[in-house]
Amino acid sequence: MPGKQAVQTICPFCGVGCGMHLLVDDQNRVAAVSPQGDHPISRGKLCAKGWSTPFAIEPGDRIRQPLIRTDDGFRPASWDEALEVIRYGLLDILSQLGPTAVGVISSARASNEDNYAAQKFARAVLGTNNIDHCARICHSPTVAGLKQTLGSGAMTNSAADIDSAEVLVVWGADATENHAILGGHIIEAKLRGATLIVVDPRRTRLAKLADLHLQVKPGTNILLVNALLHEIFRHGWQNQDFLDSRCEGADALRKSVRDTSPTQLADAIGVPAEQIEAMARTYGQANSAMILYGMGITQFVSGTFNVMALSNLALSCGQIGRPGTGINPLRGQNNVQGACDMGCLPNVYPGYQDVADPAVRQHVSDYWQCPLPDHTGLTSMGMTQAALRGEFKGLILFGEDPVVTDPDQNEVLASLKALDLLVVAELTMTETARHAHVVLPAASFAEKNGTFTNCERRVQRIHQAIPPVGEALGDWQWLGAIARQLGSSSLDWTNSQAVFDEMAGMTPSYSGMSYEKLARQHGLQWPCDDAAPEGTPTLHQTEFPIGRARLIPVHHVDIDEPADADYPLQLTTNRLHFHYGCGSMSRKSPLLERETPDGILFISPEDARNLRLKNHSAIGIRSRRGYLETRAIITDDLPPGLVSMPYHFSEAPSNQLTNRAMDPVSKMPELKVCAVRITPLPEGQAPRTIQSIRASAAPPSARENS
Amino acid sequence: MTSLTPMVAELVDYYDDGEAARHFQFRLLDQQQWPPPEPGQFFMLSVPGAGEIPLTFTQLPDQNQHWWALVRRMGSVTSALFRLEPGAILGARGPFGRGWPRPGSDQTPVLLIAGGCGLAPLVSQAERLLEMNLGPVALIYGARSPEARVLGRERDRWQHKLALFEVIEQSPGQTARRTPLDALPDVLAHWGHEPGATFMCGPEAMMTALSQRLIERGIPPSSIWLSLERRMHCATGTCGHCYLSHRYVCQSGPTFGWPELELLMQQPVTTQTPPLLSC
Amino acid sequence: MIHYRLAELAELTRHLGRTRQVWQRSGAKEWCQADASNPPPLEAGRSVQSAKGFFFAEQEHIFEFDGRYFRETLPKPAPFALIGVSSCDLVAIAYQDQFFASDPHYQARRQQALLVGLECTVPCEHGFCPTVDAGPAARPGTSDLVLHPVGNGWLLTVTSEQGRKSLQGLNLTTAPEAMKQQRQAQLADCERQFPDDQHIRDGVQALNAGTVNASTWQQMGVQCLSCSGCTSLCPTCSCYGVQDQSADQTITRRRFWDSCLYDGFQREASQHNPSDDAGARVYRFWYHKFSDDFRKDFGRYGCVGCGRCEATCPGVIGIHSVMKRISQHD
Ligand SMILES: Cc1cc2nc3c(=O)[nH]c(=O)nc-3n(C[C@H](O)[C@H](O)[C@H](O)COP(=O)(O)OP(=O)(O)OC[C@H]3O[C@@H](n4cnc5c(N)ncnc54)[C@H](O)[C@@H]3O)c2cc1C
Ligand code: SF4
Ligand code: SF4
Ligand code: FES
Repeated sequence: MPGKQAVQTICPFCGVGCGMHLLVDDQNRVAAVSPQGDHPISRGKLCAKGWSTPFAIEPGDRIRQPLIRTDDGFRPASWDEALEVIRYGLLDILSQLGPTAVGVISSARASNEDNYAAQKFARAVLGTNNIDHCARICHSPTVAGLKQTLGSGAMTNSAADIDSAEVLVVWGADATENHAILGGHIIEAKLRGATLIVVDPRRTRLAKLADLHLQVKPGTNILLVNALLHEIFRHGWQNQDFLDSRCEGADALRKSVRDTSPTQLADAIGVPAEQIEAMARTYGQANSAMILYGMGITQFVSGTFNVMALSNLALSCGQIGRPGTGINPLRGQNNVQGACDMGCLPNVYPGYQDVADPAVRQHVSDYWQCPLPDHTGLTSMGMTQAALRGEFKGLILFGEDPVVTDPDQNEVLASLKALDLLVVAELTMTETARHAHVVLPAASFAEKNGTFTNCERRVQRIHQAIPPVGEALGDWQWLGAIARQLGSSSLDWTNSQAVFDEMAGMTPSYSGMSYEKLARQHGLQWPCDDAAPEGTPTLHQTEFPIGRARLIPVHHVDIDEPADADYPLQLTTNRLHFHYGCGSMSRKSPLLERETPDGILFISPEDARNLRLKNHSAIGIRSRRGYLETRAIITDDLPPGLVSMPYHFSEAPSNQLTNRAMDPVSKMPELKVCAVRITPLPEGQAPRTIQSIRASAAPPSARENS
Repeated sequence: MTSLTPMVAELVDYYDDGEAARHFQFRLLDQQQWPPPEPGQFFMLSVPGAGEIPLTFTQLPDQNQHWWALVRRMGSVTSALFRLEPGAILGARGPFGRGWPRPGSDQTPVLLIAGGCGLAPLVSQAERLLEMNLGPVALIYGARSPEARVLGRERDRWQHKLALFEVIEQSPGQTARRTPLDALPDVLAHWGHEPGATFMCGPEAMMTALSQRLIERGIPPSSIWLSLERRMHCATGTCGHCYLSHRYVCQSGPTFGWPELELLMQQPVTTQTPPLLSC
Repeated sequence: MIHYRLAELAELTRHLGRTRQVWQRSGAKEWCQADASNPPPLEAGRSVQSAKGFFFAEQEHIFEFDGRYFRETLPKPAPFALIGVSSCDLVAIAYQDQFFASDPHYQARRQQALLVGLECTVPCEHGFCPTVDAGPAARPGTSDLVLHPVGNGWLLTVTSEQGRKSLQGLNLTTAPEAMKQQRQAQLADCERQFPDDQHIRDGVQALNAGTVNASTWQQMGVQCLSCSGCTSLCPTCSCYGVQDQSADQTITRRRFWDSCLYDGFQREASQHNPSDDAGARVYRFWYHKFSDDFRKDFGRYGCVGCGRCEATCPGVIGIHSVMKRISQHD
């Protein structure tokens, strides 16, 4: 039966932030969801994940009470007992090694309130800047790159701009699968008459609908931008007024692309020069052109430079600062923007205020009324490394499953095992939680109040629809409980609104927001302050945070691990519409799970033929770092030489294979391309899970027919 | 009302057959009764905790409500079934669907064609034909490999009662794949009869190709019968999974006469042709 | 047919509330249980979700198994009234009544329900009920009571025996002829305001004539994101999946709304998939709604003209988009 009541909230899955109602039945269960018709972004639509929300938050296998590790698993415990263990653990480490040996990894899935609490807990209670969240896997190059060129790393425009743009460029982003509702807006815009250009090595759904699809070789983004710029400057399609009045470095940029003509670079990029010329013409001459990009830009050793290259392109044509333009990173998780905004990064306080700046530090210290650490904090990867060196011993982590999602699973596992105290707060028993000393039951988004900030900087309210399962608590609540154990009252809020108000009081871009105001509008886009009380749909309209935007020439960087004789295929990663992140929520839906029952590998018909694979053949796939087994799906969405794997599956985690070479600036690993070798498994033999591959004594190489 | 809740059944006995197939004997408990099934009909077997699947009868229920089915291990439910031992409590609903047409009382030659485990739904029809002892009966049986063949006991038993033609898809020393379709002309020549009724079960692409081939040879379409496989979750025509045009295979099928099936299969978008023989 | 004049709607709600739970649409256009003594105002038009979930639940248990016996878990809802079901949704319920005639779970709920229709006086966005004979006037045999706003009050029409009984004990005055005439006039006026529906008529004809080519369906297949929105909101969609769940000593089987737009909907254990082409699946949805084949079985098309699929499809292949495409085929 439909709900007794309908509770308005925001979809917990991706960064689009669609509006939905949770329909709650008389037994306080979320019986169904319904799309919110008047929501500014989703307009009465939801994607497959949104529709499956009732399954995702089903109480079935939820963790209902704290669990403490024993020799052979976990035993249930009371909160008091669990907090006691945590207190002793933390005090032990703090007394022996000091605050640099402990840290917090918060979650891009948790609310702003939870994230604000997490970084405050780290800084004000533990006395460390070791605080991070998972943005590193997604968009740290965006932040690093756009910070330099524009002064702000967020999406410059809004979802609504898709409707008004004349030209849409979707670059390295599979919007219909990862940000389905925005993908739908793009389809709608294209049907309405907008020109759609897709740059992607894979033939994505949008590529099939596009006016122009540049099926580039992986890792050639900078070459393509420079070829486009060459063509744009050659024809005078640049926006000279904009360059003169709002940017610096135009001459140097222009010089740097003198020898990068489409004809010269076409082969290296892997597309005909005419396509590059056509794209330059369309983008360069558009009245309004909007760039949307994703991990096909960021997940390379050249990630930060790739972002800067896109910035050069948009700035040169003056396609920024107006409706229907901009450079727009499509961020992954529902609140990755908020987790960054809240300062869940080692180097900034909420609102990107610099930790290294003594004046800022003093200000924050006064506001929180406590001393603050001045040491440089560790990133999540830094914590991993420090743990392996024995310098980092205590970690509190929530809403993340790095064992599945981190690029280097083996290293993450080893580092977690090296910890004296690992506290994980989760909805269900994840791979990471299995390694914890203490597991805490976390409340789901349906069980708490708060806010999420979507990819277009829109801060939106989530409302509690049902009571927490078992003894679960919201993250800011249990963090507060640990703080109290450690003798601190810094996190003693009475409700989520109090957390928000405290946060807004110190975060300039949120300073004009309150729960009442958020409720009146459908959320507010930051900056929302005295100057912009109704929020800001379009950034950089008159000026950049750094004054003039910087054009910084960038040059091609080779991918770290090209295919070779031993590993003749290139592997890229992708996401599936049906799943989200590590799959811990979306895979609970029997419908979504049925869509892709086994971990899978996509392969072109040519490569499949060469390897004598049939559709769904079982295969082994090996890179220099690891070995997995899965099934092949043959599709001409991939060009010969390139195979692709989704990363949602813990039984065949693609991060076993991916390269750990990093972008030197942002430390983003090159997840988008590495070299692999594929071998068919003998007929009738089913692929083994990673767990059973690990368990089996026989070295996997013995089973290959090489 | 048609209940989706099964009756209590018991796993009585089993023995292995072929590569990943096993014969199971089941019986209904608690003095429950089914209406007597027809050859070609099916039942829904529940393995509690794993799920529910359609299976055909290889031996129809007797007076004590004991029956046999041949099951190939495929996914979750069949794997769970293979882990069970006699005495295990299961659920069963049935019988469902439309069985094979009753053979007429004339001397019409009957051709049976089976691919892989598709032989299972033809077993009780073959037994019925042999029992009635009317006209000549031939069976073309295709299998992926000699090891993959199933129902050896039955085929042995039929040895002298019907003309058996076995076709192995891949066998040592044989280069090209060989399916019942390839074998059809030879078989008909060898058998020396034109079938007056044909019953077949196997991969869909194989069956459609065979039907077309038979019709090209002048065999009346209305004498050709096929048993179809579809994903099934209810067997009562409500879950929708087994749709075929505006019909549900669980109710209008699984057996169809070719003229009806041909109409139902007409649709503007057809899917890629799967391999002729795979199971 | 008996017609009453109802001055205050709350009178009716309070009366029905004495013997039943009362459900009405909330401000969010969702069905919510109403406080019968203080009901929210009644709004006409389309609710986000139809009334489908009241009878064919989004999720429900089929049986429990204790290791030895199966116990069918039929729902036992208290009697309830749905107040304000739009005409199209009434037709959809009647359609599903046919489809689920032998489904014990559906019928256990359905038999407890009193359907109070509410006729629209203006077309809703994307709606086209007149095209498919489903509104704006409530169709005969689809309701127990029907409301129509006239002036400051309501015309209450009794349309079934159950409806008549439900009013016993309520003091009502017979409606004057003028009220009935005004209803007719308002309905005629409403019908005139519906936008042109030629593309739907042409599209349905093309679909049934089989003149839409495969590539048109395949292009639309590319646009289908398999979100399940259309099948969830369509009031006549009825497919479900099942799953066993174990907890402690008990195993339960549940069923839940499924969608024929999912790739896995028909995929078999062998990976053979009769509908592995997304275009074929999109075709299937529209064939189910508009083919003459189904019409023969159900006495009407499977579409009731609510327009929900157009409103919710992120891939822009709801009713109007699809019909425009297939009516313009080459
Ligand atoms: C009328 C009919 C008769 C059949 N008779 C037999 C038989 O006698 N012996 C035999 O071995 N197999 C038979 N099958 C096929 C058998 O039902 C499937 O192999 C079985 O459902 C696979 O289930 P699974 O859980 O092991 O596979 P999974 O891939 O895990 O399937 C999950 C679920 O999907 C459904 N499903 C998947 N594939 C099929 C399918 N092909 N048909 C129906 N439902 C499916 C089932 O509900 C199953 O539980 C028959 C199928 C039909 C339609
Ligand atoms: S097909 Fe669309 S318009 Fe027709 S009843 Fe279903 S949802 Fe409504
Ligand atoms: S609403 Fe649209 S995109 Fe979603 S399943 Fe239906 S047709 Fe496909
Ligand atoms: S199996 Fe459910 S409709 Fe046929």
